Amino acid sequence: MTSTSAAPDGRADTLLASFERAGYARVTPAILQPAEPFLDLSGEDIRKRMYLTTDPQGRELCLRPDLTIPVSRDYLASSPAGTPQAFCYLGPVFRHRAEGAGEFLQAGIESFGRLDTAAADAEMLALGLEATAHYGLGAPDIRMGDVALFSALIAALDLAPAWKRRLIKDFNHKTSLVQDLDRLAISASHARPEYQGVLAALAGSDPKAAHALVTDLLSIAGITAVGGRSVGEIADRFLEQSALGAQISLPRETRALIEKFLAIGGDPDEAAADLRAFAREARIALDAPLDLFESRTGFLAARGVDVGRIRFSTAFGRGLDYYTGFVFELYEPGAQAAGQLVAGGRYDGLLTRLGSASAISAVGFAVWIERLAQLRDTP
Amino acid sequence: MTTAFVIAVPAKGRLQQNAEAFFARTGLELIKPRGARDYRGAIADLPGIEVAYLSAAEIVDLLAQGVVHFGVTGEDLLREKIADADQHVILLDGLGFGFANVVVAVPQAWIDVHSMADLDDVATAFRLKHERKMRLATKYVNLTRSFFSTHGVTDYRIVESAGATEGAPAAGTAELIVDITTTGATLAANGLRVIEDGVILRSQANLVAARAANWGAAERDMARVVLDRIAAQTRARAFREVRTRFAGWDAALLAEAKDLFGVETPFGGPTSSGMLTLHCPPKHVHALATRLREKGAENVVVADLGYVFSRANPLYSKLEAGLGPRA
Repeated sequence: MTSTSAAPDGRADTLLASFERAGYARVTPAILQPAEPFLDLSGEDIRKRMYLTTDPQGRELCLRPDLTIPVSRDYLASSPAGTPQAFCYLGPVFRHRAEGAGEFLQAGIESFGRLDTAAADAEMLALGLEATAHYGLGAPDIRMGDVALFSALIAALDLAPAWKRRLIKDFNHKTSLVQDLDRLAISASHARPEYQGVLAALAGSDPKAAHALVTDLLSIAGITAVGGRSVGEIADRFLEQSALGAQISLPRETRALIEKFLAIGGDPDEAAADLRAFAREARIALDAPLDLFESRTGFLAARGVDVGRIRFSTAFGRGLDYYTGFVFELYEPGAQAAGQLVAGGRYDGLLTRLGSASAISAVGFAVWIERLAQLRDTP
Repeated sequence: MTTAFVIAVPAKGRLQQNAEAFFARTGLELIKPRGARDYRGAIADLPGIEVAYLSAAEIVDLLAQGVVHFGVTGEDLLREKIADADQHVILLDGLGFGFANVVVAVPQAWIDVHSMADLDDVATAFRLKHERKMRLATKYVNLTRSFFSTHGVTDYRIVESAGATEGAPAAGTAELIVDITTTGATLAANGLRVIEDGVILRSQANLVAARAANWGAAERDMARVVLDRIAAQTRARAFREVRTRFAGWDAALLAEAKDLFGVETPFGGPTSSGMLTLHCPPKHVHALATRLREKGAENVVVADLGYVFSRANPLYSKLEAGLGPRA
């Protein structure tokens, strides 16, 4: 299939050839895809940007809005699924946009099943930089983040489970969590008068006995699994609320700690030193993600990436909850508003959510071909 | 169709009856000159107006396209079916029927869910536990998406439902629903409960103008005639006429009556013989009558109003403000 007919020039094909030489097999997933995985993984908000249709059986189909999910699904459906495989692609994707055509070209890379996490992360950024260099932009702005650091921080904090879920979710969906911390409050509805006494009484009791009581009460009312949530799940969260107690708003010192963490940034070496100091002072174990972080920086330097030019920020995320670690975006210097030229990261949770029985590591990036082609008139 | 002034009216059921009753009250009698089965009608004494009897969904489409000038339809359908509805239509007036709230409802057994914030947390916990997102059954896909987006809820999936949405949780095809309800009885019968801050829209039938319709001078004149009758009747329904002959009436008492009872004086102060005419909202009529007698009125006569025609026409003003000045 020649899906490159819309390419502004031949450079996209030579870029793909260089990816292939680097060991990435070129794949051409179907343009018409089931809509379900995109809506499931990217959220209902993407629905208004998708070109949707329905087949005669009533199944929702779409023109692929990206290629990460199609490449991942094809990989899962193939016989080598679970083994390390590396793919590259070039083809049209389709999204309603306020400006610009609804069809545009994306190239990219997806790498599955590699266990050398730090080296694989570094390879993505290095190949992304090759892509901009291929179009004449040798020194793009490099923004980098690491979702795993924030996850590790939240996991280590002494917070109610509802708070942890909320903070992780907000980190993944908000452009700036810091500004949001002010407004963050867990629903005060557990303070409802009719339940308050019961919750207070249960708060001090044996958790197993309390759980049994709530489960029994729901069962007596003739309620079994209703709406996909089991009686046990309802009881769990009901009791979580009693434990939540005074934590209706985020405790002051926890908030200060999160703010301090999210303010850390700079080049990766500075940031790593600051994070080590932060972890020591706050007595929070960030060793595992920090070891990986420093190892990744080492691999980047070994690949000839000028590490001092990377702008790392602990607060940087990509707004999708399937990213689990390293994330990055490349921009034309001084032209961030024009959108990212290359962007990607690690999404170790994606393949499980697409139905894989075992966890499969995954990392990759996408390249906005038209944006790159418009950078310079001459190659 | 392009030359006539077209008003689209629901073609069947209670909405049609209510719409016809509404127009009849305003003195716009809908007639079907070619028989009751015809889907084209007219207004008895206003030639030049065509009444199109259509399904509620068609009315919304034609309003969006500007094929009809006015339409009677529910705000819920307008906001669901037209993206940026206010860019395409002008909601002139709520008509006082077809009330329905678009609400988020969850199983009654979810004793831990009372607010959208609770739902947000439960949705995330559900995804983490089940490796899939909660399913929400609804026919209001767009209203749901924008409401959930403003509440920051992301971990859910919409399952489009064509009918009997309230049965979806019990049938196991969804965890929760967004649907219309009037009394909540159907929801309760299906073991569902509305979330406290989960009312997406309080909807009723509206008189709606299409921005994209042809609004030349003739159409605007016609719209003014129609809206004049509707405004006169709307104003008349909102007030009772209170008459009395009364020596002790003064500016202080008037200020008090305006403040306490929302009274208006359509003809200014008392006549030379002391006759006073007030317009008073129905709910304050008794209190006003008591107050007037305390101040010395012998008799207070209260009557219903048929029409109140005023120089100012708030409905037409709203239309013209929405359409912009005449060409």
